[in-house]
Amino acid sequence: MSFFNSETIWFLDVYILLILGYAILIMSSYLILAYLSTKALRSYLKKNSFVDYEVLLTSEFAPKLSLIAPAYNEGFTIEENVKSLLSLNYNNYEVIVVNDGSKDNSMEILINTYNLVLKELRFDSKIETKKVRGIYISKNTAFKKLIVVDKENGGKADALNVGLNIAQNPYVVCIDVDCILDKDSLLKLAKPFLESHGKRIIATGGVVRIANQCVIRNGRLVEVNIPDVMLPRIQVLEYLRAFLLGRMAWGRLDGLLLISGAFGAFDKEIALLSGGYNTKTVGEDMELVVRMRRYMVENKLPYSVSYIPDPLCWTEAPEDFKIFKKQRSRWMRGTIETLAIHKKMFLNPKYKLLGLISIPYWTFFEFLAPAIEFTGLIITLLFMLFGFIHWHFFLLLVLFVYTFAVFFSVIALFSEEFTYHKYPKQTDFFKLLLAAFIEPIYFHPLTVYAALVGYKEKIMGTKGWGEMTRKGFTKKE
Amino acid sequence: MSIWEQYKNSDWAEPFLMGSVFLFAGISVVLYLLIIKSRNRKIKQEKLRNEYEQIIVELMYSVVFMDAPFSSVKDDPNYVMFLKNAYFREVLSESVINLHKNYDGVYALKLEQFYKESELIKSSLKKLKSHKWEVKCKGITELAEMNITDASEKMISISKSKNKVLKITAINASIRLEGVKGIIHLTEHAYPIDDWTQLNIINAFKKHDIGDTQGVEYLLESKNTTVVALALKLIKELKLTQKLHHVKLLTERAPNTLIQYEAQSVLKALTVNLTNE
Repeated sequence: MSFFNSETIWFLDVYILLILGYAILIMSSYLILAYLSTKALRSYLKKNSFVDYEVLLTSEFAPKLSLIAPAYNEGFTIEENVKSLLSLNYNNYEVIVVNDGSKDNSMEILINTYNLVLKELRFDSKIETKKVRGIYISKNTAFKKLIVVDKENGGKADALNVGLNIAQNPYVVCIDVDCILDKDSLLKLAKPFLESHGKRIIATGGVVRIANQCVIRNGRLVEVNIPDVMLPRIQVLEYLRAFLLGRMAWGRLDGLLLISGAFGAFDKEIALLSGGYNTKTVGEDMELVVRMRRYMVENKLPYSVSYIPDPLCWTEAPEDFKIFKKQRSRWMRGTIETLAIHKKMFLNPKYKLLGLISIPYWTFFEFLAPAIEFTGLIITLLFMLFGFIHWHFFLLLVLFVYTFAVFFSVIALFSEEFTYHKYPKQTDFFKLLLAAFIEPIYFHPLTVYAALVGYKEKIMGTKGWGEMTRKGFTKKE
Repeated sequence: MSIWEQYKNSDWAEPFLMGSVFLFAGISVVLYLLIIKSRNRKIKQEKLRNEYEQIIVELMYSVVFMDAPFSSVKDDPNYVMFLKNAYFREVLSESVINLHKNYDGVYALKLEQFYKESELIKSSLKKLKSHKWEVKCKGITELAEMNITDASEKMISISKSKNKVLKITAINASIRLEGVKGIIHLTEHAYPIDDWTQLNIINAFKKHDIGDTQGVEYLLESKNTTVVALALKLIKELKLTQKLHHVKLLTERAPNTLIQYEAQSVLKALTVNLTNE
């Protein structure tokens, strides 16, 4: 390094120290969260083994729910999906399917299958939305729970807002219409709303798992399998880590910022008072949770957000890189937009744990991590180019990061094994173990790349979701 | 030495990285071995359970349907070894309790008799003394299912616990064994009872078909408004029209407007019911 002056060397030293500090901090935070999650999970499962959900099934006092399922060009699967939504184990609920100006024959299929007729339904438009073309109900009493709304295209958030305006019940459950729900999912999601101790439960969220290659029959998941394709297989592992080792801890700390858009329940009154879904962001699920929490804090209302670790919702993960990149870049845009909208909360003691830990955590470890990794990569390449790399030390560092990544995945597998045990086949377990070894060198760089694309799209002002084609669930009969 | 100097003197870096790598790899191997061990244990237990269940089916058949007394079963060389095995007794206990859920009348009584004579009751009673709440819950559930009324006093006392799951389990058991008497102490309950607990109590009344609701009206006099709300829900859900007079009195002296509103709503619903009848 002879041609660097002492200031540059000092700068490099400080840079390396900061990066090392960052790496140790992020790894420690993962371990702390994993520890808290495991503890919370054990306690939850112990308690849950004595819970009788039949209590909710038979009681007229069970929380009344409105399921809102936005649908856009879902003609291929909508009939079966709506049928499965109508046959969930719960009594006090209605299903609102919002056709968001689909270009396919979704509406036609719904009208014919469910014997729908136009109905003059008065509702209060508390949130501004695109024009509603018509509201339909079924002539067949077997489908009396179903309401279908036909509206002009306005995006997922706009469709959910229409649902919020129309919903008759005090709690709304927002779901992706193509998700496979567990038969008891509503029972589990509704229970926390009855358990508040002076605190209002404003939202509850459940675990989402990957359904690729699982066996689906009549809209229900009947057999869990691990995908043969590596990309979705690693996502199974990634979801296990995120939901079992991450969100459970945030739930326990009551610092959860995100309830998956695929499946979450909200207190309708608070969601409306907070302004409903933000149509200007692609991260509307996270943004709504943050805004609802912010509303409660700013109005000094005691509240809590609940989290259920049971696998309640199964979704299809992207199998090819093109779609995966679109999904992940959108997630990154959503994160950036949410953090930007609520920048006031960053390190603001007024918002307590949320402002001091949750928002900074998301800023440093979710939003900035890909940028820091990319910068590290460039600097490493420069070091290589100029011949500054101390190879022995460099390889040790790579090994350190790699073993940590594998170690963390093994913790997730361990946690899954001793809790839900959803992958009992030996071959499935070994497939996941193999994925743990491959993930740091194959999948992780892809996620970083997709996140960088998200940065670029945000800078270029890209809006909207883009087309998200799905393969559809494999149905083994 | 300052942190900066220690950092500059990078002697620590290599041992730190090597140590961490070995630590992560070592723990991963241990976790992997634990997973394998757990899987093997589950397979073994499953096998054993299947084997035991076949023996238990024969045993239950002779006790319940062939009227064989337990004393003869106890001395039967086919069973004597098994009855000393802790895991066998655990599976046996589960089977007897599950079977009891599906039987009424004389068969249920025979199972209860077997539960007492085989001393399975002893392990349930022992569970009540455990420091672990989940073990206590298990004991309570077993004793309630087998209608062991002698344990009801203990259950009522456990139902005053601050642990919510334990409290709900004990209240459910007390309702099954003692009816309204099992919850009458709630009149003096100092803390709020959340909606989930209330729904469990109502469900216990429905599930165990408690006909005698004498005393529910006392809950309406509680100073704890959540207990009053519970009583109103109970009266409404069980359609206790005979308590109309007490509800009417409550509407006149309700502690707050919410209770007054709920009382009026119950009064209205029950009056409609009465008219329809």
